Amino acid sequence: MPLKKSLILLTMTLLALAQGCNEQSTQTSPSSEVTPAVASRNSAAVDDKPAYGDMLINGSIGDASVLLPVLASDSSSGEINGLIYNGLVKYDKDINLVGELAEKWDVSEDKLKIRFFLKKGVKWHDGKPFTAKDVEYTYKIYVDPKTPTAYSTDFLKVTEFKVLDDYTVEAVYDKPYAPALGSWGQGMLPSHLLEGEDITKSPLKRHPIGTGPYKFKDWVTGEKITVDSFHDYFEGRPYIDRVMTRIIPDLATMFLELKALSIDQMGLTPLQYVRQTNTKWFKDNFNKYKYLGFGYSYLGYNLQDWKFKDKRVRQALTMAIDRESIVQGVLLGLGAVTDSPYKPDTYWYDQNVKKFPYDPEKAKQMLAEAGWKETNDEGVLLKDGKPFEFTIITNHGNDIRKNAAIIIQRDLKKVGIKVHIRVIEWAAFLKNFINKRNFEACLLGWGIGIDPSQIDIWNSKKTGESELNFINYQNPEVDRLLDLGASTYDRQERKKYYDKFQEIIAEDQPYTFLFVQYALPIINSRFHGIEPAPVGIGYNFTKWYVPKRLQKYTIQP
Amino acid sequence: MFLNEDFVRRIGKNKMAMAGLCMVAFLFCVALFENELAPYPPDRIDTSNILAPPTYQHLLGTDVLGRDVLSRIIHGAGVSLSVGFVAVGISTLLGVMLGALSGYYGGALDKAVMRFVDVMLCFPSFFLILAVIAFIGPSIWNIMIVIGITSWMGVARLVRAEFLSIRERDYVQAAISQGASDARIIFLHILPNAMAPILVAATLGIASAVLIESGLSFLGIGVQPPDPSWGNMLTEGKDNIEIAWWLSLFPGMAILITVMGYNMLGEGIRDSLDPRLRR
Repeated sequence: MPLKKSLILLTMTLLALAQGCNEQSTQTSPSSEVTPAVASRNSAAVDDKPAYGDMLINGSIGDASVLLPVLASDSSSGEINGLIYNGLVKYDKDINLVGELAEKWDVSEDKLKIRFFLKKGVKWHDGKPFTAKDVEYTYKIYVDPKTPTAYSTDFLKVTEFKVLDDYTVEAVYDKPYAPALGSWGQGMLPSHLLEGEDITKSPLKRHPIGTGPYKFKDWVTGEKITVDSFHDYFEGRPYIDRVMTRIIPDLATMFLELKALSIDQMGLTPLQYVRQTNTKWFKDNFNKYKYLGFGYSYLGYNLQDWKFKDKRVRQALTMAIDRESIVQGVLLGLGAVTDSPYKPDTYWYDQNVKKFPYDPEKAKQMLAEAGWKETNDEGVLLKDGKPFEFTIITNHGNDIRKNAAIIIQRDLKKVGIKVHIRVIEWAAFLKNFINKRNFEACLLGWGIGIDPSQIDIWNSKKTGESELNFINYQNPEVDRLLDLGASTYDRQERKKYYDKFQEIIAEDQPYTFLFVQYALPIINSRFHGIEPAPVGIGYNFTKWYVPKRLQKYTIQP
Repeated sequence: MFLNEDFVRRIGKNKMAMAGLCMVAFLFCVALFENELAPYPPDRIDTSNILAPPTYQHLLGTDVLGRDVLSRIIHGAGVSLSVGFVAVGISTLLGVMLGALSGYYGGALDKAVMRFVDVMLCFPSFFLILAVIAFIGPSIWNIMIVIGITSWMGVARLVRAEFLSIRERDYVQAAISQGASDARIIFLHILPNAMAPILVAATLGIASAVLIESGLSFLGIGVQPPDPSWGNMLTEGKDNIEIAWWLSLFPGMAILITVMGYNMLGEGIRDSLDPRLRR
């Protein structure tokens, strides 16, 4: 009897599998409206002027979670949202704030009021006009305590929000707040579709409507997200007709797809950049770009752990780690050692920040000063009879972090510190370890925002569960400097506060700052108009184009 | 006892068993003398020489951190074998205990144990292991224990069947009529005569435990870095298969040889014990 049952079960699963396969194959086969154009590369009429048409297929490691910028905090969603939505302001290629949906703005003399004058004639993807009502709705939804958003901090500083007329709004602050202007770069939401609705249940989470250069077409969960160019876009119709983001959760597989020309763009790993893409074929078919990414990796110490309470110990740890060899060995030189929470080639980075170069002998000496003198028979340092032994945790799926941890483990062994490594799947990593402060040291990375305010990460009060100061760093002077920095508009004066802040952080070494990686995008060479700038390459995406003779796909909407 | 001269003679003639035995013995030697055999420490990092193809310095090449692949495979042997043995030890112990109780006492106890076996067999064991490991966290000890407690059912069934038949033999009946205690009958009279199939099952069990461990490590929830494990090495190899074939080929071959060795040995023992195959 049990045998029979299990047989039935088995056939049912097989059937289900077969159906699954069928579905998949129809989805992956090129849809009828997209057909590769007949190659006409050698046609006589050589005309490389900008032309409309073609499709760019992007490879992405992870699927988006939600296509509403107020709710999304993952980078996969962020990239798609960037095509669909606009903010009032944006950063241009040289990292200066310029208007996007705002024509211009006035900041009052006392820096307490910002008045935005909105562009006229901007349309939502459904044809309705964009007005001050939408800005008001967006502001309200961000500050609504019921909205589960990670970005309310900036908007909560607004004490009063006024709609002056259909195209003028004013935000009032009770004290000057320097990041305020940049914070209005958040994606504006359509009030006519969302007003009065529960945003967490809105259908726009999966079928977004924005004002951006691309309008949503479809989203097959775990497989691909397609957006089409918005012909009425207020900055002009984008040249590339369609952008498809294919979700390929494995970088090696994604690279094979790139080689098969079935995707046009991906971010390379250092190994792929150095060892696998230097052939003539690659040079003929792809362009590679390289710029310092907006983010850094660090080893953070849980300062509530008795071993890490002494700053001499933390400085010694930094000196014991050969960071240059991590950059050479793991990043293959495609990165830079960093000593500060700011990007080394930007204005806010303090060139004079104290550096702790690799010096294991000095590190040993400093550990001895801090009381770590004796060793046990394994050669591990002891203090009060307890060995210097700790676990570094990092997230699964990031080989660069894992390999950096292995090098750190080796380096610290040389000075008598025993390190264990634990690699944990991301969701569990955040939930059970980081948010619960259940770790000794963690190897992680932060994205570096363009505005230098880093209150969320370093303020003494941001240590609650799920808040970002999870290493429990507390320094009243840092709190004061960060508050001063946030309320100062003058760039030079502001920089003084942040320079001082960087000096204190360097002295305290709550993190061992490890490295900044290069972003290594590779893009099919039929795409023209890409101009690398300090901010990266994506800023002028709507001006990228494929000359008529090189176009690969024909899009019939 | 089954380990009589006749058995030794027959297994000596069984080519498959001998080939398996050689492979297994070879692995034991490698694991036992890992420090003497490995040309480098397995965690020696050399970032100036990453992904080097096989050369005289590094007979099987180096990996993404410049570590010697040969040394890591040699050290991985110990990991694989210990996982195999401890896991099978646990599963055999459990299986023999439950199978013996069930087969000897019969009745309601037998029914209960056998239904429990059916329930356990319903779960696809690899996914059960994945779920449990995700819950309690990966470590080499957890893996050994979890593999052990999810793979005892086959042994339990075998042992029960043996007990059912041996229990009716005359010498057991004689022992019962003389008033021997249950424990004495189980351990002295029945169990030694049921050893043969247990040994075969255990040998085959080691092969599958080694495979499961490699599978778990391949998925990143097995043995944790920097301890070398063949499964871990394969994962790293997979990402670089186009530029560094040696990272996938050699650990894969190590797994192949181990699993094949145990399977051949197990099958060989079974054939030599099977009276129907006697010539």
